[in-house]
Amino acid sequence: MKAGAEFPRLTPDNHRETSPRDKAYNCIAWAVGEMKQWWEPGLYWVPQDWPTDDRSLGALESLFSTLGYVDCNLDDGLEPGFAKVALYATSAFEGTHAARQLPSGKWTSKLGKLIDIEHDTPEVIAGGEYGEVMQVMKRADAPADLGP
Amino acid sequence: MTTDATLATRPDLRDRFQRLAGQWREESQYMSNTGQMTLLKSYLGIIGIGEPAVPLLLEELKRDPDYWFRALEAITLEDPVPPEDKGRLDRMAAAWIDWGVRSGHLAS
Repeated sequence: MKAGAEFPRLTPDNHRETSPRDKAYNCIAWAVGEMKQWWEPGLYWVPQDWPTDDRSLGALESLFSTLGYVDCNLDDGLEPGFAKVALYATSAFEGTHAARQLPSGKWTSKLGKLIDIEHDTPEVIAGGEYGEVMQVMKRADAPADLGP
Repeated sequence: MTTDATLATRPDLRDRFQRLAGQWREESQYMSNTGQMTLLKSYLGIIGIGEPAVPLLLEELKRDPDYWFRALEAITLEDPVPPEDKGRLDRMAAAWIDWGVRSGHLAS
């Protein structure tokens, strides 16, 4: 990936590509640990009857709450025994992206219909297409070792 | 009478579709929500082509599956995808391709 208007904070040193392109799943699916389907209200979501076309940050927060995550006040540090996700949104609070912390403390993201990357911090992919990190949530279990 | 199929073979229409489709693929590549992708001007432009875009969209689904389903739903007012397959790109594409063959929009 090259830095550009979409990802102005990316540098060759702060991220690594970890998968080929795949349109079958999106960042939400990848944050949950799923690679078979595209997670979005109206397609596949938990709860399944969530209002179609809700693209708000609240929809993302509700999804991860349902999966057992709680707000951790934007603390994106590694906490042994906890899995963390970072949620991104525009200034209008439109949910745009989710990233998942790896057991190493680094983060992993699926970029839209493209590739997965490992990135050093959640902020590395903020500031452009995805807006800013607006929420970090954690769940009391070990980060799933699903990749990269 | 001019059929949708013959309209879709019009070079100007096909060119316009391909231009808009290419633009949409570029603009939507980093997006994680198909609803957001649908709001792009290029996608709306394809919906604006109407019925003649249907065989072209189905050809695209066969060639390189992508999230063209909302355009197909908007134009045809159909949704052949079973609820359990929502979100599964391969299965959604297959359901629409089957629908296209059954409805005569796509050669078998």
